[in-house]
Amino acid sequence: MRYDSLLDSLGGTPLVGLPRLSPSPEVRLWAKLEDRNPTGSIKDRAAFFMIEQAEKDGLLSPGCTILEPTSGNTGISLAMVAKLRGYRMVCVMPENTSHERKTLLAMWGAEVHYSDAAGGSNEAVRVARRMAEENPDWVMLYQYGNQANARAHYETTGPELLADLPEITHFVAGLGTTGTLMGVGRYLREHKPDVRIVAAEPRYGELVYGLRNLDEGFVPELYDESVLTTRFSVPSDAALRRTRDLLHKEGIFAGISTGGALHAALGMARKAEQAGRAPTSRSSSRTPGGSTSPPAPTRAPSRRRRSAWRASSGPDRGPGRRGPGGVRGGRVRCPSRDRRSVTEAGFPRGTGLRYVPPQVGSCPELGNGEPVISGQSV
Amino acid sequence: MAIEVRIPTILRNLTNDEKVVKGSGDTLSDLVTDLDQQYPGIAERLVDGGKLRRFINVYLNDEDVRFVGGLEAKLSDGDNVTVLPAVAGGSR
Repeated sequence: MRYDSLLDSLGGTPLVGLPRLSPSPEVRLWAKLEDRNPTGSIKDRAAFFMIEQAEKDGLLSPGCTILEPTSGNTGISLAMVAKLRGYRMVCVMPENTSHERKTLLAMWGAEVHYSDAAGGSNEAVRVARRMAEENPDWVMLYQYGNQANARAHYETTGPELLADLPEITHFVAGLGTTGTLMGVGRYLREHKPDVRIVAAEPRYGELVYGLRNLDEGFVPELYDESVLTTRFSVPSDAALRRTRDLLHKEGIFAGISTGGALHAALGMARKAEQAGRAPTSRSSSRTPGGSTSPPAPTRAPSRRRRSAWRASSGPDRGPGRRGPGGVRGGRVRCPSRDRRSVTEAGFPRGTGLRYVPPQVGSCPELGNGEPVISGQSV
Repeated sequence: MAIEVRIPTILRNLTNDEKVVKGSGDTLSDLVTDLDQQYPGIAERLVDGGKLRRFINVYLNDEDVRFVGGLEAKLSDGDNVTVLPAVAGGSR
């Protein structure tokens, strides 16, 4: 597979089955490997879309400074895009962020400012807002409220999922900025009204909640409760156990947030079975044969869209990036970023919002359905 | 009917620093009423105008009660209820 530049390789990540973790032949789980994105996380999608939108809005031009409060992955993704597009990148992150993430950001050329660890991500947001006021020429993309974040998933992740798994019944993803759930959720609902959109919310350590004032909770501006079917709080130990299951049973070395999403997906599956709504037909593979689902939509996700963008800035790439059937080839690779998360000790060390469950999608229940899983950091 | 309720740090001043307390009720609303009798003042911190406060998240067996009936969510013996402040993605 050939791409003209790193940004052109964004998206189009593989969806892989989890046959050993799927609870039954009727309930099949699939995981979308977002580590296949350029910097190794799903945040590349949002970073690209937010910067592209800011350029369209005339907010950014080469030489400008981008400012963002982040716990890691978004900063790394923004730093990568900023480097390629000629912007200076400034990140604000809690001072207790892992050394590895700090180093990664520095290697990508980002300038890092630290906020008090005790204040968590909320404090990073406050510091970033203050810096933005002091530097009015800087552009704060603000992933928690930037609609381009959710749109990235509406235009890429959602269409990719539906194209690869037309029989999808559930989509399970982590809840952080909520961009993934809002974007994918809206897209899937428009094309499969019965799909269940399930949020897996990491349950942070006592430190985070202990500091939280009940009257000043944090609700990202992007969040729209009506998009969700339900929402699970996933305890740290359960997320860690599922993360290990994923490695031991399926050979996928993912992060703790992916484990959280997997836990929620399995919970949904059990709930469906207990309710006696187990499917009567076996959902086999990504092949839509025998399904009552509508025909698979034309694959029109990120690359096609980016090609349109590229048309105005360079030669088009032409066809042939996907094999027959639209499924990417290649081996399953360890999600390196997530692997780091696992080795970062225990679980949400520090101040939460660092881990937002990965996404897995599709969980049976209504018949020919498959859940999908996913997760992320902010 | 015993329901186990996990209390966040910020509210433990009302529960004598107890992290986990027991309550009863057929619905979440009943449970809150029962808890308030045991720990006066806790209902006011959880409910406002007949609805859960905006930045309070309550999970019934790890599922957000806002999606399973809210204060009218049905409870069963042995259920676990967890009260948490919203960290992200709380209800608007």
